[in-house]
Amino acid sequence: MRSISLYRDNGTWLCRVHPFTKLAYILAVILVPLLLGSLWAYAAAIVLDICILISGKSLRRARALIIFSFTIIVTIFLIRGLFDADNITPAFSLGPVVFYQEGLMKALRTGAVIINMLLSFSILVLTSKPEDIADELERHGFSPRLSYVIASVFSIIPQMMGTMDTITDAQRSRGMETEGKLSQRMKAFIPLITPVVTTSLINTRERAIALEVRGFGSKGKRSYLSPWKKHRGDRAMTIVLLLSIAAAAAWRLASWLS
Amino acid sequence: MAFIEIENLRYRYPKTERLALQGISLSIEKGSFLGIIGPNGAGKSTLGSAIIGLVPQFYKGAYGGHVSVGGKDAATVPVSEIARSVGLVFQNPFNQLSGAKDRVYDEVCFGMQNFGIPSDEMRRRADETLELMGISAFRDRNPFDLSGGQMQRVAIASILVLRPEVIILDEPTSQLDPAGSEEVFRAVEKLTESGITIIMIEQKIDKIAEYSDRILLMDEGRAIAIGTPDEILSRPDLEEHGIIPPAPARISRALSFALPDGTFPATQEAAVTLMEGRVGFRKDEKKGEAQASAEELLRTEDLSFSYTEGNEVLHGISLAFDGRPTAIIGQNGAGKTTLAKLMKGLLKPVSGRILLRGRDIAGNTAASLAGDIGYVFQNPDDQIFKAKVADEVMFGPLNIGMSEKEARKKAMEALEMVHLASAADRNPYDLDLHERKMVALASVIAMETSVLILDEPTIAQDDRGKTMISGIIKELAARVTLVISILHDMDLVASSFRRVIAMAHGRVLADGSPEEVFSKEEVLSEAGLELPHTAALAKKLGAEDILLSDASFLAAAFRV
Repeated sequence: MRSISLYRDNGTWLCRVHPFTKLAYILAVILVPLLLGSLWAYAAAIVLDICILISGKSLRRARALIIFSFTIIVTIFLIRGLFDADNITPAFSLGPVVFYQEGLMKALRTGAVIINMLLSFSILVLTSKPEDIADELERHGFSPRLSYVIASVFSIIPQMMGTMDTITDAQRSRGMETEGKLSQRMKAFIPLITPVVTTSLINTRERAIALEVRGFGSKGKRSYLSPWKKHRGDRAMTIVLLLSIAAAAAWRLASWLS
Repeated sequence: MAFIEIENLRYRYPKTERLALQGISLSIEKGSFLGIIGPNGAGKSTLGSAIIGLVPQFYKGAYGGHVSVGGKDAATVPVSEIARSVGLVFQNPFNQLSGAKDRVYDEVCFGMQNFGIPSDEMRRRADETLELMGISAFRDRNPFDLSGGQMQRVAIASILVLRPEVIILDEPTSQLDPAGSEEVFRAVEKLTESGITIIMIEQKIDKIAEYSDRILLMDEGRAIAIGTPDEILSRPDLEEHGIIPPAPARISRALSFALPDGTFPATQEAAVTLMEGRVGFRKDEKKGEAQASAEELLRTEDLSFSYTEGNEVLHGISLAFDGRPTAIIGQNGAGKTTLAKLMKGLLKPVSGRILLRGRDIAGNTAASLAGDIGYVFQNPDDQIFKAKVADEVMFGPLNIGMSEKEARKKAMEALEMVHLASAADRNPYDLDLHERKMVALASVIAMETSVLILDEPTIAQDDRGKTMISGIIKELAARVTLVISILHDMDLVASSFRRVIAMAHGRVLADGSPEEVFSKEEVLSEAGLELPHTAALAKKLGAEDILLSDASFLAAAFRV
């Protein structure tokens, strides 16, 4: 069964960048516009996200995430633009419906935050292998259990989905309709979900044993198959990103104090 | 002192009353191959778990006695520590994959990483072991994409790379086809030469006889006897302990060919050495032919199927099924389950059609076919959801429109058939896996369908369970139910089926009576199948006919 990880190695530079550098990027690209407070900063961050995704040949795959977020953003625009408590200045009207500038500006800001977060996270999830993220976290002192959860969830979930298909087939074979009217589907819920839960519990118990006999609970120092091949710019990029956060924070502090 | 010392080991699982192990004492020397046999519930797997410390550390429960592994107390030294010297491989290959690695190579290295083995050494061991287990070609594949047999070899390799001094194999081949299990056995045999201690729990008595130095016979948590394969498998009380002796021991006993020490040979090789030139065979003139019974129930016409476009897994299958019990045999991946699912309406053919009593089933859902075609899945846990066995068995009959009263009556009859009537009010999850498998079988039998498809009914069953399934197949055939079964157990195929369909690469290679199909050597070789054990022995001793049962062997054989 295939992993549900969104990662694909397309051979571009972005796939070779260390996951921690990408995490630093996410942190910077979210915090800096927040600290600066300007909509232009959000716009710049989004443009930067898009440029990185284009050069990493991953923009096309990020599109699905953005399209998904549009429904939420449109809803925010409607609610804020029409009903925000601070609405005073009419911006435009569609027939009898009046949209207000204040609400629209707030919606624009929220929309920009959502798109920026989605794009920056997509840089990480589309171009870093979950296993590598997990391994690197472990190497840097995080619990092996945490890194196991990160790495395994992508294959265990499809495995559970596969089990669900088999269970559906087994119950259909015994005459239970799983499609059609809502009442029929409701009736099918218990016969489908109970075996999923029990099978998952049995599998989890067996897998826990399998992990234990392969030394997962071992207290000694772990080793790794291959050292991470550092991207040339990893260190420099991380320093620049962290400095940019510090600079933005300093600017914000200064503007508060003055 | 032996490497493993077990003294008066007693153990009871939590929330149970019966002792799973009742005073086991045993010594296992380094480099030996110990086979453990016994019926389901004998305590074999529990003993294996106690050696690696899972009992009592993981399972908890009441524990008494002492288990020492290389001087370490298995009850108190952490399992992850004992795992440095003892490896464990169990039945289900799927659950042994870590789930954290997306390449076979990385999966095999997972345990070594946990033990901090340097990367150069890791690579060396991984390369060597992948080669030994014959899985080098899959090194970059996702382990979850492999077949069950391939996955199990990955699971074994993942343990072997840890270079344990002892490896416990708990029915590692129960889910593999004959060729796949033979590969695993050969690899394990190579390991014995390397000095590793092997403890193998197995239902395949013929295999265990071939490879073991000593065999431990267990029953009801007790060690009944330990000795050489010939000694143990010649015991007259073997069947009382739920074990059918292997074909060579049965035949040589029946023909009164004993070894000098009074025992009977447990392996084919020893039996042939003993009997060669001393046994002749009468030629059978009236060969068994697959005579069709009158009514045609099910027909497939030019059936093709692919899961993904361009990758056809079944190529134009045309078969007509009458009332004869029919076994579908072949390697993993031959297309057997796909064919069965198509006939049940769980999959829709890409081309061709399926006729049930002359009516095309194309417009029917699997659920609407439930009253006509029953399907018993491999894993009973994929269907069980009721809190009482009887309710679980009644679920299907009620779905196909039987009244409550009638459904209960049919459910009780089906439970009688699988010898579980006394468990009707129990929770299915309080039963063992082999019993839950019987519950799943009963839940489909109770629907009284005219066609019953069984997918690997013998997995997890011991000899008693297999004998019971054989009886059920005969009983259902007498009720004019067409039983179609996917099987890897060639002995059961030979004893219980009147028609055999051998498949490979999505095609039918042979179709006929068991005698006809098993006489086609090229078919067996292409489909990766072996002869049933009795027939194989007869052939090695020079019989021209395919003698599938002990009765036909003994009728044809005479002492020279």
